[in-house]
Amino acid sequence: MNSFCLRLKFRHWLGAGLAIATVLAGLISGRAAANDAFARGLEFSRAGEFPEAAAAFRESANAQPAAGTLVNLGLAEWQCGHAGPAILAWEQARWIDPYEQRAAANLNFARQVAQVDAPSLKWYEAVSTWLPPNAWVWLAGLALWLAVGLLVLPGIFRRPRAGWHRLLAALAFGIFLFSLTANSGVVSRTQIGFVVKKNAALRLTPTREGEVITAVAAGEPARRLRTRGNYVFVRTLGGAGWLERDEFGLICPR
Amino acid sequence: MQNGSHFPDFTPRLSRAWRMAKRARRLLISCGLLAPLALAAQTPPHLPPGGLIQLQVQQPAVDITSPVTATASFDPPVAGVGQKIFYRVSVDATESSVDWPDPPPVPAGLKFGPKTSGQLTQMQGNRFRPLAAFVYEVQPATTGHFSVPGFPVMVSGTAVDVPAASLDVTTTDSGLPPPRQLRLDLSKTNVYLGEPFRLRVILPPGPNRQIEAVREIELNGDGLMTDKTALQQAIEPVNLDGELKPAFVAEMIVTPIAAGPQRVWAQGFTAGTEFTAPFVIRGQASLAAGPPKYVLLVSDPVEIRVRPLPVAGELPGFTGAIGKFFADPPRLSANRVQVGEPVRLTLTFHGEGELTRFVPPLAPRSRDWQIIADPPPATSFTLVPLADDSHETPAIPFSYFDPETGKYVDLTIPPLPITIVGEGLPATVATADDEGAAQPPLKLSAPAPRPGKIAGSLKPLQLRPWFIGLQLAPVVGFVALWLWDRRRRYLEAHPENVRRARARRALRRERKELQKAAAAGDTAAFVRHAARALTIAVAPHFPADPQALVGGDVLAQVTGAATPNHLATIRAVFQAADGQFATHPPLAPDLPALRPGVETLLQQLEEKL
Repeated sequence: MNSFCLRLKFRHWLGAGLAIATVLAGLISGRAAANDAFARGLEFSRAGEFPEAAAAFRESANAQPAAGTLVNLGLAEWQCGHAGPAILAWEQARWIDPYEQRAAANLNFARQVAQVDAPSLKWYEAVSTWLPPNAWVWLAGLALWLAVGLLVLPGIFRRPRAGWHRLLAALAFGIFLFSLTANSGVVSRTQIGFVVKKNAALRLTPTREGEVITAVAAGEPARRLRTRGNYVFVRTLGGAGWLERDEFGLICPR
Repeated sequence: MQNGSHFPDFTPRLSRAWRMAKRARRLLISCGLLAPLALAAQTPPHLPPGGLIQLQVQQPAVDITSPVTATASFDPPVAGVGQKIFYRVSVDATESSVDWPDPPPVPAGLKFGPKTSGQLTQMQGNRFRPLAAFVYEVQPATTGHFSVPGFPVMVSGTAVDVPAASLDVTTTDSGLPPPRQLRLDLSKTNVYLGEPFRLRVILPPGPNRQIEAVREIELNGDGLMTDKTALQQAIEPVNLDGELKPAFVAEMIVTPIAAGPQRVWAQGFTAGTEFTAPFVIRGQASLAAGPPKYVLLVSDPVEIRVRPLPVAGELPGFTGAIGKFFADPPRLSANRVQVGEPVRLTLTFHGEGELTRFVPPLAPRSRDWQIIADPPPATSFTLVPLADDSHETPAIPFSYFDPETGKYVDLTIPPLPITIVGEGLPATVATADDEGAAQPPLKLSAPAPRPGKIAGSLKPLQLRPWFIGLQLAPVVGFVALWLWDRRRRYLEAHPENVRRARARRALRRERKELQKAAAAGDTAAFVRHAARALTIAVAPHFPADPQALVGGDVLAQVTGAATPNHLATIRAVFQAADGQFATHPPLAPDLPALRPGVETLLQQLEEKL
């Protein structure tokens, strides 16, 4: 009986171990592929073969989004003459890591050269740029449950509620409320994107024959409002209209 | 393009006259080819204005002054009843100038078919003279001597007499050869609309197996288009009525342009040795000697069934190609180009069908490419990239219709990978402050040496459903804690429930031990566990610790509810249990007799807990 139980436990542990090993192997192989593509991209960049470098960095970013990869992708796209995709890549690098200095400097440079504006952010969206997007949601969750725990657990465990319990709960709840606004900013910023094609036609209707309102420069920021077929309705600094999907890239592609 | 069909080449054997004609022609061609070389070193003569007109070759004049004559005859002049005969009239004038009475005066007993007419230009001396001919197919219904009387026709406003022609119809075969006719040989008679097919006009050899050329060949019938540019003439052995004979063959491409049953027949003038186009001789042949005799011949009509192309299943890029075609892999002249730099896309098609009317794929419209199709029959394209966003050439839709399967087949030219290099943007920009003083230039950063901070995805956790679900985990934890606290408070308010629960657990344990002892026949252990189980079962009712109870307590608890047998069992159990501690233990009770009573009693006591 005991040996049977031992064998049963061993099988359970073996199964769990194999599952964990499979997941880890998948993660490691994905990261290895991303690293290989990143190394290739660097070599192409040094050789001055920027289209090939951009393709390699894009492959690496698709396999494993990383701030440095996106910075290099933006540099390669810029060298190819693609201001829109370059600005989008650097914005995505800043999305992953708001403290990425290379991306910030390149964005400043690109906007001066291409004469395009930075996206106009609301106050809570500006707040959300202080931390990475995922940090805000973890912070909100931890703060909420910390506050709830500090208020509920002493009663359950028949401990007297100390003053610091209340103080810490109030502080955590305040952080939770503040992070809610930042999270709202994060969600709102997912609708921000950039025009990736040169002189993309902003149309009055979502059709190919639609009247062209204006031409939008590559790298111009826009906010997506809705989607219809192959077109997205966006609001730019100059007006609202329809762009073709492949002319517009979101920071956070769905 | 390459055509899969070809013909075997035989060494021609020519008659003496034909050999001489061939040598003369070679001499003329040689002179023509060498003449420019001979004149190459000479200084071009200075010609006065209008002097070039003197260099033009003078063409023979057209004879319109000679009196117009007409001939009429039956071919053959003697025939049997029902035999095919032709009534033929020739006029030395253009066809359009003849005001032909249709039908001509026809004697009774002869049935004239539809008229066939044609014209050519014949060389008479040093002048051209037109010749028009009118032919009727005649079938005599009865025997007798028939005569079409002479009748006048108006030629350019002048009356010209057509002489009379007579025909003798007998009941039996006259023994004369049948009239000469052209023959039609079609590669297929069941075709689709627009499907080109080959048609051969054959002139069988005349008397003495002499071959004649045919001029001014025309196909009659609505709904057919003839491609005379693909006309091929040959003298080759042809199976005629089961016998292989050399004959003049003119092969051409015909395309049906109307659906439904179509009748086609050919006409043409015999022309002796006047071959108007290059031709091939296969096998032995003897050409007719002497001046040509121009006779308008016709063929029997052949019916062709033309089906319309199916509308259902038509694929993009269908240009009307019908047959069976294949495409070699497309080739690009370069795989890395600048924006605006043309690149050539070469396509090669092979076919089992007729390629002379092959329409190559049309240039599609593309936002990123300017696509220019080379003029047919070339099938290549010139592609000009307008932007550097593309990484491949545009697909060029193309399809054809396979008449064998009756389906459209996709032959789309697939996209080819290509690298398009655009104009780069500046990597450094000079800056100045408000007063115009130069500042350190702005420039792009160096590449990041490492991937840096990574993320599982650019999509934030806020938009992922699993993360919302994860937030329920603390909720579940807090609810579990609350339920646990509530249960704990309830049990504290009702301690008898705790005692009963503990008693039930202990009683189950003791009953298991009791059954083990009974199975082992250990009477001492049995009574010990039975006594302990009985005290455990009644302890919560006092409440008291089970070890503090004795048999009297158990009896006091069950009195009133237990039967006398149960009371006796309890006494026996406790007596035996207490007897183990006596100096002289009493006799052990009968275990098989005691066991059912104990188990029934314990069952009843457990139900009370």
